[in-house]
Amino acid sequence: MKSNKNFLVRFRGWIQAAATLLTNLHIPNLFKGKLYQGKAKTICVPGLNCYSCPAATGACPIGAFQAVVGSSKFKFTYYITGFFILLGVLLGRFICGFLCPFGWFQDLLHKIPGKKLSTAKLKPLRYLKYLILAVFVILLPALVTNSLGMGDPFFCKYICPQGVLEGAIPLSLVNSGIRAALGHLFTFKFAILVLVILLSILFYRPFCKWICPLGAVYSLFNRVSFLKLQVDSEKCVGCQKCSHACKMDVNVTDTPNHPECIRCGACMKVCPTNAICYHYGFSNKKQADNK
Amino acid sequence: MKNKSGIVNSMNSKKVIAASLAISLLFAFTGCGNSSDSATTENTKQEAASATDAGGSAASDEKLDDLYQQENRIFADHKNVWDKVFALMSKNTNDNAMNENYADFLTNTIESNKDSFSEEEYDTLSKDIETIRGIEEEIAKLEKEIAASDSSGNTSSGSAESTGVFRGFKGKDLDGNDVDDSLFAQNKVTVVNFWFSGCKPCVEELSKLNELNDKLKEMGGEVVGINTDTLDDNQDGIKEAKEILKAQGASYKNLTFDSDSTVGKYAGDIMAFPTTVLVDKDGNIVGEPFMGGIDDPSNYEQLMEQIQNIL
Repeated sequence: MKSNKNFLVRFRGWIQAAATLLTNLHIPNLFKGKLYQGKAKTICVPGLNCYSCPAATGACPIGAFQAVVGSSKFKFTYYITGFFILLGVLLGRFICGFLCPFGWFQDLLHKIPGKKLSTAKLKPLRYLKYLILAVFVILLPALVTNSLGMGDPFFCKYICPQGVLEGAIPLSLVNSGIRAALGHLFTFKFAILVLVILLSILFYRPFCKWICPLGAVYSLFNRVSFLKLQVDSEKCVGCQKCSHACKMDVNVTDTPNHPECIRCGACMKVCPTNAICYHYGFSNKKQADNK
Repeated sequence: MKNKSGIVNSMNSKKVIAASLAISLLFAFTGCGNSSDSATTENTKQEAASATDAGGSAASDEKLDDLYQQENRIFADHKNVWDKVFALMSKNTNDNAMNENYADFLTNTIESNKDSFSEEEYDTLSKDIETIRGIEEEIAKLEKEIAASDSSGNTSSGSAESTGVFRGFKGKDLDGNDVDDSLFAQNKVTVVNFWFSGCKPCVEELSKLNELNDKLKEMGGEVVGINTDTLDDNQDGIKEAKEILKAQGASYKNLTFDSDSTVGKYAGDIMAFPTTVLVDKDGNIVGEPFMGGIDDPSNYEQLMEQIQNIL
């Protein structure tokens, strides 16, 4: 059941590019400033990818979740919740490392040369994303409603930098009406985007670590996901190279399936004895996975 | 072995960097391309709409048509000899010829084939060409005027369909009564608001739109709503829309129609809700569409300013 780690890990950049392209198939729409509104838009994509991106193939699961929870007709969305559970169990945060367009965006930004800072001391900020998930994605849209029971998609409206990058910016470039309608909210969110970009150059994936509610959802499933990292205790020599290579600040030998692990495979690359590999399927008994 | 894979890895990451640089460059260029592109797409939509005097531009359109007809009549009057000219033409056409003045182009064709015509024919043609030259000058002048009245200055695109969205309108109100373009003809200006039931900002401006309707009625105008969930006589959508309208105290007219009609396609292309447009007597959309709710004071002021311009 071993996956070919060389293939996945080596071509991660290309897989991310391909996933981003598949998530945004309707490239010509970028020039027309129109949104694709066909049937596929009722399906969610795995990564964080704005519905209002003219090129978007499908819907953003976080956006869709808020839209349904905040609508006057429904209180809870079984479809999106089921989607989260399904993808969480099938892939977990592998989605963050390989399939999410905004994850790739941050990876590319981090390649910009310059001073790089560690986030190891900022670990408590990790919990912020769970708070954002609970408050901005679930509670506020469901509870803060007008007289007709309609709520706002608070995360999309007030936080999401991907919405500015993929939605507001391309649309306002091509559509003068939308350009004219930009106000303080856009300025505020644009500032968030700029901040995330700057932080992404300095730190590795700050948005994924601290803010992303979608990452928070998938991280809950990392321990029970079919896709796991295995450390072969017989091969492992305990050099701790893997933990030093991990940019998500995970102690790989102790907690290979930590909620923060995005399955990027940086640890596999550096392991001198090839002791770390992907494992797909039900948990292997001889592994001491969850400590 | 290990070294080798290390090299491969670093090569790969270089490739990735190169690719990402290329992509960002590409985006930079498309970014520039976008803005010029945007100008033209906008123009096709808003063509002539931004003219403050929409009636005037419609009149010049008519005049233009008339001038083209005059030219055609000349060709018809001396059909035999002109057909002879046209037969010669196709062989002489080249790219340059297409850019020159039409009268000059005709003259050149005749001059270079002088032998094919009798003296009488040649005289007829020369006279006709002089008349045509006069007409062409008028056409050029008119086209310039139209271009000037169109603030964006774009005349190349056929646009009547995108501005005259409500010309020949046929639909129903939400109570099932037939509505046609006489609705627009009886108003000096009609404010048309596009919305849908699940759109919070749309729903929240409905009461303000109702106030606007009361105010406009005194001034010879009207507010009309179009809920995109109600198109094609969707009864569920109509029921929900009516409930929302009632709850928000909006009593002005809301319309439903076929989604594959001209206005249906226009509504289908709207991506930002609420969108509000101004429609003149003839069913033309005047000025730029407004995006965002008019419960925002600055949006409201902008809209009122445009309305004042039309009245």
